[in-house]
Amino acid sequence: MPETRDVVIIGGGHNGLVAAAYLAKAGFSPLVLERRETVGGAAVTEEIHPGFRCPTLAHSAGPLLPHIARELDLERHGARWLRPQVRVLALSPVGKHLPLYDDPARTATALARHSEKDAQRYGEFHESLGRIGRLARPLLSLTPPSVDAPEAGDVWKLLKLGKDFRRLPRKDAYRLLRWGPMAVADLVSEWFQTELLRAAIAARGIYGMFGGPWSAGTGANLLVQAAIEPHSAGPADFIQGGMGALTAALAAAARGLGAEIRCGSHVARVDVRDGQARGVVLSTGEQIPARAVVSNADPKRTFLSLIDPTDLDPDFLNRIRNFRSSGAVGKVNLALAQPPRFQGLDGDGALLSGRIHIGPEIDYLERAFDAAKYGAFSPHPYCDVTIPTVLDPSLAPAGAHVMSVTVQYAPERLREGDWASRREAFGDAVVQTLEEYAPGLSSAILARQVITPRELEDVYGLTGGHIFHGEQALDQIFTMRPLLGWARYRTPIPGLYLCGAGTHPGGRVTGAPGSNAAREIAADLKRAR
Amino acid sequence: MSADAKSHYDAIVIGGGHNGLVTAAYLARAGKSVLVLERRHVLGGAAVTEEVFPGFKFSVCSYVVSLLRPEIIRELDLPRHGLEILPLDGTFTPMSNGDYLWRVNDHFKTRREIARHSKLDAEAYDEYGKAMVDMGRFVKPILSMTPVDPTSRDWKGFVDLLRLGRRFQALSPGDQYNQVQLMSMSAIDFLDQWFETDVLKATMSASGIIGTFLGVRSPGTAYVLLHHYMGEIDGAFRSWGFARGGTGAISNAIADAAREAGAEIRTNAAIARIATRNGKATGVVLENGQEISAQVVCSSVDPRLTFLKMMESKLLPSDFVEDIERYKFRGSSGKVNLALDGLPDFRCLPGKGAHLRGAISISPSVDYMERAYDEAKYGHFSRRPYVDIVIPSLTDPSVAPPGKHVMSCFVQYAPYNLKGNWDTEREAFGDTVVDTIAEHAPNLKSLIRHRQVLTPLDLEREFGLSEGNIFQGELTLEQLFFLRPAPGWAQYRTPVRNLYLCGSATHPGGGIMGAPGRNAAMKLLSDWRRGRVRA
Repeated sequence: MPETRDVVIIGGGHNGLVAAAYLAKAGFSPLVLERRETVGGAAVTEEIHPGFRCPTLAHSAGPLLPHIARELDLERHGARWLRPQVRVLALSPVGKHLPLYDDPARTATALARHSEKDAQRYGEFHESLGRIGRLARPLLSLTPPSVDAPEAGDVWKLLKLGKDFRRLPRKDAYRLLRWGPMAVADLVSEWFQTELLRAAIAARGIYGMFGGPWSAGTGANLLVQAAIEPHSAGPADFIQGGMGALTAALAAAARGLGAEIRCGSHVARVDVRDGQARGVVLSTGEQIPARAVVSNADPKRTFLSLIDPTDLDPDFLNRIRNFRSSGAVGKVNLALAQPPRFQGLDGDGALLSGRIHIGPEIDYLERAFDAAKYGAFSPHPYCDVTIPTVLDPSLAPAGAHVMSVTVQYAPERLREGDWASRREAFGDAVVQTLEEYAPGLSSAILARQVITPRELEDVYGLTGGHIFHGEQALDQIFTMRPLLGWARYRTPIPGLYLCGAGTHPGGRVTGAPGSNAAREIAADLKRAR
Repeated sequence: MSADAKSHYDAIVIGGGHNGLVTAAYLARAGKSVLVLERRHVLGGAAVTEEVFPGFKFSVCSYVVSLLRPEIIRELDLPRHGLEILPLDGTFTPMSNGDYLWRVNDHFKTRREIARHSKLDAEAYDEYGKAMVDMGRFVKPILSMTPVDPTSRDWKGFVDLLRLGRRFQALSPGDQYNQVQLMSMSAIDFLDQWFETDVLKATMSASGIIGTFLGVRSPGTAYVLLHHYMGEIDGAFRSWGFARGGTGAISNAIADAAREAGAEIRTNAAIARIATRNGKATGVVLENGQEISAQVVCSSVDPRLTFLKMMESKLLPSDFVEDIERYKFRGSSGKVNLALDGLPDFRCLPGKGAHLRGAISISPSVDYMERAYDEAKYGHFSRRPYVDIVIPSLTDPSVAPPGKHVMSCFVQYAPYNLKGNWDTEREAFGDTVVDTIAEHAPNLKSLIRHRQVLTPLDLEREFGLSEGNIFQGELTLEQLFFLRPAPGWAQYRTPVRNLYLCGSATHPGGGIMGAPGRNAAMKLLSDWRRGRVRA
């Protein structure tokens, strides 16, 4: 019998690594088991063409919570943040592009070309969203309170939050309450008249979601995103070396603190005996006993494929099956021989250093979603584009670039054909859309990688292809993520925990679910000692 | 009504719709002198019966009743004042493949019918019904509650909030889970968890979109599914039904109760403005120039009319004006009323059977419903709309000449903000509705003797419903409870002292419930007792 580990973590995505680092910091010696040959999960840098390295899935490093970077000393472990001055460039089909700068005053000046009124209102919106975001920020690092039996500590934290809430200007307090259930389209039109600005801000509410800007509740997603990044334009930071460099730094930090990480180790199932998680069994048959098993995999994968169904209550299983995790995102990564030339931009490279938003109108975004409702990918998709080589030329040969395009919408299941047969058609639709803004782009493409929901599930292990492990709708956030009653990283099986994006506060590379889970697991393990 | 009526009252109620009348009745019963002023020649607002064509009486707007608060029926003794509710049994949904789904009030019959489509769904239907009844019990008391304000700084607001939290805590985990889902999910996402039959989900989800600018896949639409189970708790009597004599009979019964308690009611009395002095409401000025003073003014019309049309906005705090300006109406429904020479014959279930006595729902599939919404999003009326049809003359022959029938068709979507002009598209819209129904009942066209088409623009012009919204403002989460109609002003009071709201634009919203009218009256009477109402 091999020795019993403190903690085994299934999956070396960013949350698994953060959990490992914090658990190691707390004095345990966690073992991370990653199925793929590289750690990182959805935050990886991979070679898409000889000499061209690209953040294949996630491409914004901004959301990582600053205190996590600090506490784990990630800069010492090699992470170098790059911050563009232009956070978002919203592309206009007629060349009237709108840059959203890091500095809101500059944005307001740029906006004045579109609308004097919007230029005046932008500042107030920026401030208000910032205040609300900063108020909600502590929630990200909070274990959601138990609804049935709140612990004294939880109640205290919530009361404090309630106090902060009451300290908000009343106008902001009402905004916070009103915005949550709203459709993000309504929210932005209450503020602005410039369609391009509306669409660029609204995009934050639909990013990663199976919903369009007219879907109610996308306001809540915008609020979650505002808590992650209170800046009105959203995250823009990059990491030198691509997202994989961030997870490599996390892995180095975790190792430095005493964690062990094994790649190429496929966990076949969680070993449950007498209703208690006792360890894991690898696909090779190897058994690894552990006092605590932590799953960085999504809730569906964890409970529906790693656990024997007889170990779970049928009611619980049913709810997990109903956890909505049908994705909406595809990814297209391009190796480019030369820099793309966007219409209406005269070689101002700085404008292309942040995220580039394609989706000029609210209706454009909504129509893109309409297609997904009926089981088709969008013929004219919403694209969140980055060209990481603008700030980090090391990713490609001199003069060449990589372009990373997050594409919505790509529904999990197609009504006509399947993803295997439609993959290239999907890639073509994306390139064609880009070509409208950057004529000649196609001829610069040396290689193209198309990632459909099918690959998201098969290669990256995201059930349903959902990049956030599950919809971030009103009924699947905070005390309800993944399920009401099971939002505290614990599961109905003692000794089994969740630490991935399927737990509070959800998706994006924040590290928050991992660090919150580590705190709860460490507390349980110490109590049991 | 005599012209030499009093010129000062304790309270003036603006608008003689069902809510205004309910408020008037309760105030009068408390001993207040009350005057109700109705702009039109008939009472009832959107709950009205009119003889649109000789011999054919239509419930012109609202056409069925389900949620009229039992306490109002009891306290105002409405049956004695002539209210009689006739049962509306079931919903018949013709499908495009020649089949149909016919649900009735008899649970076991419905179960057998559903089993014809899916055995699993028939089983789920039992559980679903039970869960919904439990949920209904939780929600029902909220309807009669003055909304708590979570931002209020006083301890009472805090205690109310805590109490609501404790009630939620007391629910079983399963019920908590359902409750949260109902409040936030889309009708289809919610139903997907229970059922697999597409037509069943489509037709059930329809109740979630009525009167809103949302589709069946839009989050927030699940909640209304519950309403169908709240009537049933009190037994079959108060489930869905018609009022004998049409929906206007409900308003007339309430008006009768109000008059008996001493209220005065005037029709053809359009209000030009609400009179104020020193930030307080002091009465109203009619369009004919007459001034009538009162200690309190209760407005049952929507907040846009109340604050932006009947008052000068400079009398109001600018934040409040902004809130009212962005309060969302955007009507999405129309109405087509048909006078028929006979009964429609449905291809999938021919004959004059009982299926014609309930609601007939043109909602054949989830995609059909969603596509109808998609068109409205981009400013067109649905080419194949969702239609909810009733033929009240089958149950209540008094509303049509012998052998003839009236057919009421509620249609969605008909967006107020049309790309195009409703005045020129009205008949095309009417044709679309008739064509849609005729696809299932081909003989319909030959039966039509008269047709009345009401677009959202007509609802606005004729019935004073801003942008044609039948609920005086969308029933979406950000406009419900403590946010209805504006944050901080959900407790029936307004920034103008002695001016109260009592219509569907206040909690708990539209539909023939009477709850806003009663809640507002209770709040006002309590303010009166505490000396908050001062000249």
